Amino acid sequence: MKLSNLKTVESAHDDSIWAAAWVPPTDSRPPLLLTGSLDETVRLWRPDDLHLDRTNTGHCLGVVSVAAHPSGAIAASASLDSFVRVFYVDTNSTVATLEAPPSEVWQMQFDPKGTTLAVAGGGSASVKLWDTATWQVITTLSIPRPETPKPSDKGNKKFVLSVAWSPDGRRIACGSMDGTVSIFDVARAKFLHHLEGHFMPVRSLVYSPVEPRLLFTASDDAHVHMYDAEGKALIGALTGHGSWVLSVDISPDGAALATGSSDRTVMLWDLSMRASVQTMKNHSDQVWAVAFRPPGGNLRGGRLASVSDDKSISLYDYS
Amino acid sequence: MGKKEQEEEGEAISINQLMESVDSNSDDPELHFQLGLRLWESGGDSKGTREKAAEHFLTSAKLNPNNAASFKYLGYYYSGVSGADTQRAIKCFQRAVVLCPDDEESGEALCDLLDEGGKETLEVATCRDASEKSARAFWAFRRLGYLQLNQKSWPEAVQSLQHGIRGYPACADLWEALGLAYQQMGMYTAAIKSYGRAIELDETKAFSRIESGNILLLLGSFRKGIEQFRKALEILPENLAAQYGLASGLLGLSKECVNTGAFAWSASLLEEASKIAISSAHLAGNASSLWKLHGDIQIMYAKCFPWLAGEEGLSDREAFESSIISWNETRDLAAKSARKSYQKALHLSPWQANIYSDIAFCSNVIAECCKSSPHDFNSWQLSEKMALGALLLESDNSEFWVALGCVSDHKAFKQHCFIRALQLDVAQAVAWAYLGKLFREVDEKLLARQAFDSARSIDPSLSLPWSGMSADFNPGMDSPDEAFENCLRAVQTLPLPEFQLGLAKIALLSRHSSSSLVYGAIRQAVQRAPYFPESHNLLGLILEARHDYISAAASYRVARYALHKYSGSKKTDFIHEVSINLARSLCKAGSTADAVQECEELNSQGVLDAECMQIYALSLWRLGRNQLSISVIRNLATSISSMDQISAAVIAGFICRLLYYLSGLDATINSIEKMPKELFESPTVSFIISAIHVLDEKDRLNHIVSASRHFLTTHELRMEMHLLISLGKVIKNGSASSLGYQSGVHHLRKALHMFPNSDMLRDLLGYLLLFRKEQNDFHLATRCCVTKLSNLSNGGLKSAFEVVGAGAVSCYAVGSSIPKFTFPTCSNQCLNEPQAVMQLQKSMHQEPWNFDLKFLLVLNLLQKAREERYPLLLCGVLKRLCSVALSNEKYERTGLTLQLKKLQLLLCASEACLQEGNLPECINIAKKACKLLVPDGYLFFAHLLLSRAYAVGCDMRNSQKEYERCLELGTDLHIGWISLKLMESRNLVAPDSNTIGLRFEECLEEEGNLRTMWTAVFNFIQGLMSLCQLDFQSSLDFLTLAGSLVDSDSCIFLCQGVACMELAKAGYGSEHLSAAIRSLVKAQEHSLVPLPIISTLLAQAEGSLGFKEKWVRSLQCEWFTWPPEMRPAELFFQIHLLARQPTANQDSMLSVETHTSPLKWVCRAIHTDPTPFRYWRILRTLEQAN
Repeated sequence: MKLSNLKTVESAHDDSIWAAAWVPPTDSRPPLLLTGSLDETVRLWRPDDLHLDRTNTGHCLGVVSVAAHPSGAIAASASLDSFVRVFYVDTNSTVATLEAPPSEVWQMQFDPKGTTLAVAGGGSASVKLWDTATWQVITTLSIPRPETPKPSDKGNKKFVLSVAWSPDGRRIACGSMDGTVSIFDVARAKFLHHLEGHFMPVRSLVYSPVEPRLLFTASDDAHVHMYDAEGKALIGALTGHGSWVLSVDISPDGAALATGSSDRTVMLWDLSMRASVQTMKNHSDQVWAVAFRPPGGNLRGGRLASVSDDKSISLYDYS
Repeated sequence: MGKKEQEEEGEAISINQLMESVDSNSDDPELHFQLGLRLWESGGDSKGTREKAAEHFLTSAKLNPNNAASFKYLGYYYSGVSGADTQRAIKCFQRAVVLCPDDEESGEALCDLLDEGGKETLEVATCRDASEKSARAFWAFRRLGYLQLNQKSWPEAVQSLQHGIRGYPACADLWEALGLAYQQMGMYTAAIKSYGRAIELDETKAFSRIESGNILLLLGSFRKGIEQFRKALEILPENLAAQYGLASGLLGLSKECVNTGAFAWSASLLEEASKIAISSAHLAGNASSLWKLHGDIQIMYAKCFPWLAGEEGLSDREAFESSIISWNETRDLAAKSARKSYQKALHLSPWQANIYSDIAFCSNVIAECCKSSPHDFNSWQLSEKMALGALLLESDNSEFWVALGCVSDHKAFKQHCFIRALQLDVAQAVAWAYLGKLFREVDEKLLARQAFDSARSIDPSLSLPWSGMSADFNPGMDSPDEAFENCLRAVQTLPLPEFQLGLAKIALLSRHSSSSLVYGAIRQAVQRAPYFPESHNLLGLILEARHDYISAAASYRVARYALHKYSGSKKTDFIHEVSINLARSLCKAGSTADAVQECEELNSQGVLDAECMQIYALSLWRLGRNQLSISVIRNLATSISSMDQISAAVIAGFICRLLYYLSGLDATINSIEKMPKELFESPTVSFIISAIHVLDEKDRLNHIVSASRHFLTTHELRMEMHLLISLGKVIKNGSASSLGYQSGVHHLRKALHMFPNSDMLRDLLGYLLLFRKEQNDFHLATRCCVTKLSNLSNGGLKSAFEVVGAGAVSCYAVGSSIPKFTFPTCSNQCLNEPQAVMQLQKSMHQEPWNFDLKFLLVLNLLQKAREERYPLLLCGVLKRLCSVALSNEKYERTGLTLQLKKLQLLLCASEACLQEGNLPECINIAKKACKLLVPDGYLFFAHLLLSRAYAVGCDMRNSQKEYERCLELGTDLHIGWISLKLMESRNLVAPDSNTIGLRFEECLEEEGNLRTMWTAVFNFIQGLMSLCQLDFQSSLDFLTLAGSLVDSDSCIFLCQGVACMELAKAGYGSEHLSAAIRSLVKAQEHSLVPLPIISTLLAQAEGSLGFKEKWVRSLQCEWFTWPPEMRPAELFFQIHLLARQPTANQDSMLSVETHTSPLKWVCRAIHTDPTPFRYWRILRTLEQAN
C-alpha cells in the first residue's frame, strides 16, 4: 500500500484548518471534501483538482468539526461557540441550527444509517444524540463519574473530545481528555465500560469498517491504540509519531490506517504488519484531520485528504 | 374453434403439401428431411409418426450423407423410439458429430450414451476429436474438462474448462469445476476468483463456498473464510465440511486474537466454535478429525481464558480467592473436555501419532491447573507416557521428541530429548530454543546463549529466544534498551505472561515504564497469570509510573492476597516489598489514613526502611499528627549517615521541606544550619534551600545557598534557579503594599540575556511586566512571550497565552487599524493584539477544558467588539460565551479570584446586552453582578453599568441612585472615576461638583509617569465635557492643562483646536484662530495615521486668516484622510469649492478637485446627502452659470 501526492492547495483557508470530512457522492455530483477552519468558514472542494466549490459563512468563531450525512445530501458544521449548523450540501440552505445547552460541541458523526447525529459534548462529559428527522435530542449518553473523585482532579477530566459510531451502528465510542475511551450501547442508551491505556487526551477515534469490535484511538501520548472494544482489551499500540496524534482514519477496506500528528506528518500504517509504511511531510504545521474518501459511486482508487494549521489541504492517492 | 386446433389443422395441411411435393420430387433429400422434421415435431410421442419420420430421415441421409441433422434425428430415434438400439444410435450420433462438430445436442447425446455404456475412453476420444476439429465445439471442451477433472489431470482440465467457459460464460458448474482444478494445482488466488464467479452466477453453490472458505483459511484470511462457511451453512445447514470449516476458521481467528492479546474476544470466538464442533461431532460421531478439532478448540480455550475479575476491583481476599478458583475451574473443565475429545479421536484413529502428543500436552495443562504435588521422578507421568506413545508410532519425528522434552520434568531427560530432536533435524529451531531455556535453568549461560543464537538464526519469528536473550541482561552492565527491545519482540510475537512480566521488569529499570506497550502487556499478563503475585505487583508499579495511584494500590492489595495464598518460601520479604509499594501509592493517591496504617504495620514488624519512613512522615503530617511526624523525621535523620550520597541528599531535601511545613521557617533554618554541608551538593536540595532562603527576611542561609548553587550543572537547572531568584527578588524588594516587580524584571532581563531561548523566563518576565502597570509594559509583555501551540502549559507560573491574552486587553487605547471603525490612538502599536483573539481561539481549540483561556477569550472579544463599535453578531457571541463560561460549576465556589472573574464575565454579558439595546436583560445581569461578594472597589463597576443602563432607558431617578451608590462605594481604579465623571454629562448631579475630582486624586499614585498621564486624561475628559456643554473657555482651560501634561496626544490637540475655533467663531479674537492652527498642526504631527476632519478645520482656520494657498493644501489633504467608502457629503462640497478656484501650477497628484467639474462635485455631495439646502442652491447657481 502506498500514498502518492495528487494535489496540495496552499492557503485554502485564511487561517488554521481544523476539520475535514468527505461528503458521499449523490446521483448528480461526485464526492466533495468539506473543511472547517478558524477563519469561521466551511468550504467545499471538488476533487481531484480541489476546485473550491463554495464557501459557507455564518459561524462566529472557529469551526471545530464537520460531518457529512451518509446520503451525501446534508452536512453539519460546529464552531467554538457551540452552535451546530446543519445544511443542504448542494444549496447551502440551512436545515437546522442546533444550539447545545451551555456545554460545548466538539466532534460530530452521523450514524451509518443516517438517522442520528452523535455530538461529543465536551464539558458535559456526555455524547448527545440528535434525531435527524426532527432535530431534537433523543438521548444523552453520560459517562459515569467516579464515585470517589481523586484529590488530584483538576477541572473537568471527562471532557469529551471525540466520538465514533461502530459500523453496525450498535455502539458509540467516545474519547476524553484524561485518556479514557468510553463505550456505549446505543439501543439501550447505556454506558458499558471504559477502555484504558491512554493517559493523555484522545482526540480522535475510529471503528474498523470490517470488524465491529475493532477500535482505533489516537491520543496526545503519541500512540495509536488498537482495542477490542467489546472485550475491553488493548490489543496493539502503534508508535512512531514524535508528538500528539491528532487524527486517525481507517481506509474503506480496513487494511490501512492514516494518522495526522502535531509532528507535522501524516503517516500510513499497514494493519497486517502493524507498522508504519509511509510518512508524508507535506505540511509545515500540525495536521488536524485526515480523512479517507468513503467508497461509492463509480470512482476508482482511494483518496486521502489531510488538513493542517498551515492553512493547506493535501490530497493523496491511496493504493 | 380453438387456436390450437387451427394450428393443428394448419400443420396437417402443410404436412400434406410436403408429402405431395416429396411424392413428386422423391430424389430431393432436403424435402425428405423437412417432411421428417415436421412429422417428428408434430407426432409427439406416438410411435407411428416417429417411425414415419425416421423413414424420411433415412431416405434423406441416404440421398445426402452429409446432412448431420438427419443423422442426429436418426440417433434420437434409435436411442429412444425404436426399442433403444444403442449401438445404432451411437453410430448415427458419431456420424452427426463428425459431420458437424459444433452440434451440441448430438454431441451431448452421444456422450451421455457412451457414459451409460461406461465407455469413458471412447467418450474422451470423441470429445477430443470434436474439440480438435472445431474451436467452437464448446460442448466438447466442457465435457472434456469434466472428464479430465474426473481423471485428475488438472492442467489439461484447466485448459479445456477455460475454453468451455468461452462458450458458456454463465455456466456456474464450469466455473466451479475450473476453481477445483486451480485449487488442486495450488493456484489459490485463481481458484478463489473462479469460485467467486460461480457463486455470483448461482447463489446456492455451496461447494464453491466451502472450498473457497477452505482456501481462505489456508491463506490465513479467517474472517473471509468464516463468512463463506456461514453462507454455505445457510444453504446446507447440516453440511459437515462447512461446519468443520467454520469451527476451524473461528479457531484460527481466535489464535490471531490471542497473539494480539485479545483474550476475551478469543474466548468468545472459541465458545462459538466449540458449540459448532460439538454439534457436528454429534452429527457424525465417527469423524476423528472433528473430535480432534473440538479438542484443539477446548485446549485453546483453556489456555486463553482470561481472568477478568481484576478489572472490577476486588474488595477482599475471599473474593479474590474465589475468583481465582472459578477461573481455574473453567480452564480445568475446558482442558479436561479437550482431553476427552482427543481421546475420542484417538479411539477412532489410534494410528495418528500426533493425537498422542496432543493428549500429552493436554494432561500437562491439566496438571498445571491442579497444581498437583511434586511427584516421584522414577515413575512415568501421564503426559510423558502419552508423548512416548507418539514416539513409539513415529520414532523419527523430531517434533515428538521436542514435545516429550517439554512435558517431562526431568532435566537430564529433557536435554536428551531435545538433543535427539536436533540429531534428527538440525534446523529444529524450537528444540534449540528449549535447549537454551534448559541451559539457562542449570546456569550454563554460555551454552544457553549459543543455543538461543542458533534458534534465532534459524527462525527469527520465534519468541522464546528473544525473551531468553533479554533475560540474560545484566543491570548496570548492558544497556537496558537492548534488552527491552528483545523482550518486546518476544511479547509481540507471542503474548505469554512470562514474557510480559519480564518486559515489565525491564521497563521499570529502563525509561519505558509509562509506555502503552508495557501497560498493555502487563494487563494481559494479569489476565492469564492471576495466581502469580509478581504480576499484580508489577501491574501496580506500572500503574504508578502512569500516575494512576488508586488502581495501583488496588493491584498491590491483590498482590498481597495472591502472596498469602500461593506463595512459597521467600514470602515475607516479598510481602514487605509489596506493603511498602502499597503505602507509597496510597500516600500518592491521597488515602493518607490507609497509608499510615500500612506504615504502622510495617513499623510493628520492624522493617521500616528509609523510603517507608518518608512515606510515614509525610502521611502523618497530612493527617495533622505533627509530633509523631517529627519523631519519624528524627529517626530518618539519624539514618542519613549510613547512606550513600545520592539517597542521603534526597532524604535531606525531604526533611527540609517537611520541617518547613511542620515547624515553620525558623526551625527549618536552624536545622539546615546544623546539617553537614556535603548534603547540599545536589541540585534538588539546592532548590529547596533556595526556596526557603527566599522566604527568609534575615538572609541567614546566604552562604549555604551560594555554595550549593555551584552544583547546578545543566542549563535547565540554572535557568530554573534564575526563575526562583527573580521571584525571590520580587518578594524581598517589595514594600508593604506592593511587591518589587521592578527588581524582578531587572533580574529576569539579565537572565534572559543568558538563556535567550527559555520560554519559562520569557513568560515570567511578561507576567511581571503586566504587574508594573506602566503603559508600555503591556505591549512589552505581549512581545516578550513566545506563543507556541505545543507548549500551552510549560510548568511555569503563567503560560504565554495567558500573558498575551491579558496584555492585549490591558491597554485602554484602541489598537485596531481598520479605518472603517476607528483610528488607532495607542502609540505603542501592540504587536499581538489583532491576533490575540485568533491565538486564544487556537489555544482554546487545543485545550477546550481550560477555563482561564475561555475567560481571556471573552475579554479579548469584548475588546474587539469595543473597537468595532459593538457589531450585533459579536455581541451575540459574547453573550453566549459568557453564559457558557458562567455555567461552569467552578464559579459557584467562593474565593476572590474566581468571584472577580465571575464579576467580569457578568459585566461583559451585561455590556453586550446594553450595546444590543436589550435593557431589561442588561439590568438583570448587572443586578446579579451587584450581589457578588467582592470588594467595594470592584462592585463599583457593576453599579456604574446599572447607572448607565438606567440612563439609556431614561430612568433618571434610578440612574441617579446608582450613581450615588458608586460614589459611596468608591474605587481605586482611575478608569472608574473617569467613567463616572462622564456620567455627569447625563445630567446626573454629584453632591459636590468636585467630589469625583478629589476622589480621583486620592487614587493616583505618588509620583511618576502614570500620575501625569492619568491627570491629563482626567482633564481631557473634563474639557471634552465642557466642550459638549458649549462652555468653550473652561474647556480650553482644561485641555490646555491636559496638553501641558502630555504633549504627544493628537486627541487633546484636536479638541484644543476645536475649542479655539469655537471661541474665535464666538468673536473672542483672532488670536484664537492662530492658537487653533498651532494645536491642529500639533495634532496632525502626533497622530499615527492621517486623521480626518483636522485638515478641514485647519483649512477653515487658515482660510479665515486669509492664507489661501494653505487653505487649498489643507483641503486637499483632507481628501486623502478619508477611506473612500466613508467620505461625507460635506467633503465633496468642500472639494467643489477647491475646484472652482482658478487652477494654479499645483502638484497634480494632490489636486483631486481637477478630476472633474465643480458641478459634478456638488452632484456627488447631493447624492451622498440630499438634505442640506445650500447644496441645492449652489447647484442651481452652477447650472445657471453653465
